[in-house]
Amino acid sequence: MSNLVIILAIFGWAILTYLAFKINKTLGNVFVGVLALALPAYFFTYTPSDYTVSVMGMSLQFGFTSFASLFAMLVVVLSSFALLYSIPYMNKKDRLGWFYMNFMFSVGGMMGILMSKDLVSLFIFWEIMTWSSYLIVIYQGKKVNKVGLKYMIFSAIGAYAMLMAIVLINKWSGNVNIEQFFASFPNYSSAAKLLSSLLLLTGFGVKSALMPLHVWAPGAYTKSPMSYTAVFSGALSKMGIYGMALVAVNLYVHSNMPIMGEVIAWAGAITAVLATFWAIFQNDIRKLLAYSSIGQLGYIAVGLGIGTELSVFAGLYLAILHGLFKGVLWMVVGAIEHRTGKTDFRDISGLIKKMPFTFFVALVAIIALAGMPPLSGFVGKWMLYESMITSNHFIMVLFIFLSSTAAFLYCFHFLYGLFLGQQEDEFLKDVKEVPVLMMIPMGLISLSLIAFGTFPGLIFKPIAQAMSTLGFENVTWRMSSLTNAWGNSMFLKPANFMFMAVFVFFLIIITVVNHKKTKKVGTKDIANGGEPIRDEDNLHYSVDIYRPFYRVISPIMKYKVETFYKRISKGIEEFFQFFRRIYSGNGQTYALYVVIFLTALLILSSTIF
Amino acid sequence: MDIGRFLLTSITTTALAFVVGMFYAGFRRKITARVQNRVGPPVYQNFIDVVKLWSKKSNITHGVMQHLAPLWQIATSITTLMFIPILVDSTFFVNLTFKGDLIFLLYLMVVGSLGMALGAGEGGNPNSAIGVTRGLTQMIGFEIPWVMALVALMIQHQTTTIVGLMDVQQASGTWLMFSSPFAFLAALLAMPGMFRYSPFDIVGAPAELASGPISEFGGKYLGTLMTNGSIFAFVKLVLYVDIFMGGATNLVLLVVKTFVLYMFPVLWGLVSPRFRTEQSVRFFWGWPLFFGLLGILQAAFL
Repeated sequence: MSNLVIILAIFGWAILTYLAFKINKTLGNVFVGVLALALPAYFFTYTPSDYTVSVMGMSLQFGFTSFASLFAMLVVVLSSFALLYSIPYMNKKDRLGWFYMNFMFSVGGMMGILMSKDLVSLFIFWEIMTWSSYLIVIYQGKKVNKVGLKYMIFSAIGAYAMLMAIVLINKWSGNVNIEQFFASFPNYSSAAKLLSSLLLLTGFGVKSALMPLHVWAPGAYTKSPMSYTAVFSGALSKMGIYGMALVAVNLYVHSNMPIMGEVIAWAGAITAVLATFWAIFQNDIRKLLAYSSIGQLGYIAVGLGIGTELSVFAGLYLAILHGLFKGVLWMVVGAIEHRTGKTDFRDISGLIKKMPFTFFVALVAIIALAGMPPLSGFVGKWMLYESMITSNHFIMVLFIFLSSTAAFLYCFHFLYGLFLGQQEDEFLKDVKEVPVLMMIPMGLISLSLIAFGTFPGLIFKPIAQAMSTLGFENVTWRMSSLTNAWGNSMFLKPANFMFMAVFVFFLIIITVVNHKKTKKVGTKDIANGGEPIRDEDNLHYSVDIYRPFYRVISPIMKYKVETFYKRISKGIEEFFQFFRRIYSGNGQTYALYVVIFLTALLILSSTIF
Repeated sequence: MDIGRFLLTSITTTALAFVVGMFYAGFRRKITARVQNRVGPPVYQNFIDVVKLWSKKSNITHGVMQHLAPLWQIATSITTLMFIPILVDSTFFVNLTFKGDLIFLLYLMVVGSLGMALGAGEGGNPNSAIGVTRGLTQMIGFEIPWVMALVALMIQHQTTTIVGLMDVQQASGTWLMFSSPFAFLAALLAMPGMFRYSPFDIVGAPAELASGPISEFGGKYLGTLMTNGSIFAFVKLVLYVDIFMGGATNLVLLVVKTFVLYMFPVLWGLVSPRFRTEQSVRFFWGWPLFFGLLGILQAAFL
């Protein structure tokens, strides 16, 4: 079976699902479930083969490189989990057929992008992906028009840049094959090198929300249904990273233009710091996660931009990992929204009492996000730091460290503000744990995050294979230890097992000692300076909790890229307002125009003739 | 590795850290009292306190996370202790010294605070939450100069391990605090932030926050936290001694060096009133940051 069949099958299935929802909701849900199970089953068992289609004298080639199949793995796993999660999550909403059709179209689009071996088919699938995701962003209807418009404008800018690059590359290389483009790139003139690669980077940068092209992301991530945002922020944004990796490594690192790699890395570092700062001060959890996503993609761009073996490895590892833990976190937000209908720190507190499972998976994902041992996020952070220190990026490493330390602030806010703190009976009385079908995807991904913390080798193998497509042959990796360029090693097993052993040892002691006399009390029974707290007093402190930090960094928080774009759009608007005044819609004015025209004609004719 | 031997050394190391840390805390109380013209408690008072707390009859908890919070702390401290060389070239205190490096330690050392933050959050006391947010904000402050100092040493000596840095000092015969003075200054100025003594005691802040994050912890929980506090103080001091003061060849020398270093945050605290949160961060992003930059420049270009 050829590769193209899988994409066409997804597209066909999307339309069938749409029709199925027209008939009956249960039938439609069955269709969704079948795709969610069939997609990974097919993907992990088939043998890849190349396939060529000839259209109008142009040969379009399809097939997986080992680099693309790494990302395809992420897309398949995350999409099938998100589709399963969608079934209970979207249950009470309307226009389900429309939603699932677009969902599946964007999954097919992503697979198509990864399969394309030439730029034209890549562009076609890129547009399918963009359009289907746009239609989901505006799924909520009129009230999100503005968000959708912003997303569309930036996507269009990216698409035009990419299209222009493809046209230029076709002119300079003679064809649009990606591999031949990489091969002929060193022969380009330096202006051509810069222009073609920068145009491609703009196209990819928009999707990966690199500053200053990130403006669409907070709105678009927030307004889509959460089950789709898990894929949107987890996998779809990685398509930008996929392209960026090709440009940064294949074009810049291997074609002797490391300075441009540095530019990407610095853009990533600045993105990481600023996006993290913005995430800290958000009161809506969806906005918080959206900014956090932008920041995390900054780390990945840093890894790819530096372009040493370890840093690219770290970048790819973080890309996969970000897909996994952000997938879980968006699902957690979806779960909370599903059960309480609220997504704001001002409305939520103390959910741990009613949603302990959701809290547990959120805890695992947050520890992975914060990059703390003994979970998997630490492995990526370690490789990224060591690659920066060993390649003399000692100022950039401070930016990344600042950003990761600042990330603890929003990590704590997320867990504390939603799950911990004062438990209000009135708010909690109708809340219950999510259905099993929503638990399974969150739980399985969390398990993988725990496993990769001690045995990252499970995921190193496909990454090492992917590195060979990027020109790093024979990357060495080991099951549970890491090594940097200076030969210093980190052994994960002793570290993690030691931590767990001490933890369990003291857990037994602290639980056993005085077990019978240990009393569990409610959150209203606290030390409050001798003044008892009544049930109706709410002492939950989780809004605006980082004021002091805001006062420290307020000088840089004043500047927003958005104001710059707004000024541009205002300028354009005023420019066109001028033209609009001509068409005033008033008969008298038009009569005046006729008179002026005739007078001018008379004067001119008298001078000419 | 022989499991029995590993258990013996790791338990010995932990006990050593506990005893030394407890006595240091006792000395601190005594010194503070003397400066304030009081008699003060005996130096072994902290041992009595820990025993008392562990034998308290009533213990109160607000939920699972609060139950687990002290464990995150103590697991972090003891694991960190295992990765730090206690003595130079010791064949006894090997533990896990050769299994990890400084980046790992940097991350490991904050795990406990975050676990504690979650436990404090579950208590539901607003004072705890205020203390935690202050603590996290202050952490951004002092971690930056501290990391700058470490990065400077790492790039100068092309190693990311503590053992590597100790070998450098053995080979050259000079302590790194003299050969990399700016990095040392940055790290030293970041140190009071780690110890959270005045003027950086904004997390506990007895007079405003009623001891902040630990306000809902009592009995065995507070006992665990106190045990952890003394071990972690020892961990931080030995780390500084290993990196900047050439380590120690025997235990007496180790105690002397760590005690001298410990006096820096203690004595500074005695004569300083408390900062506000933003003042604290601004302090760390002032001179310490400047010295850190100088340290990196020295390492990169000299």
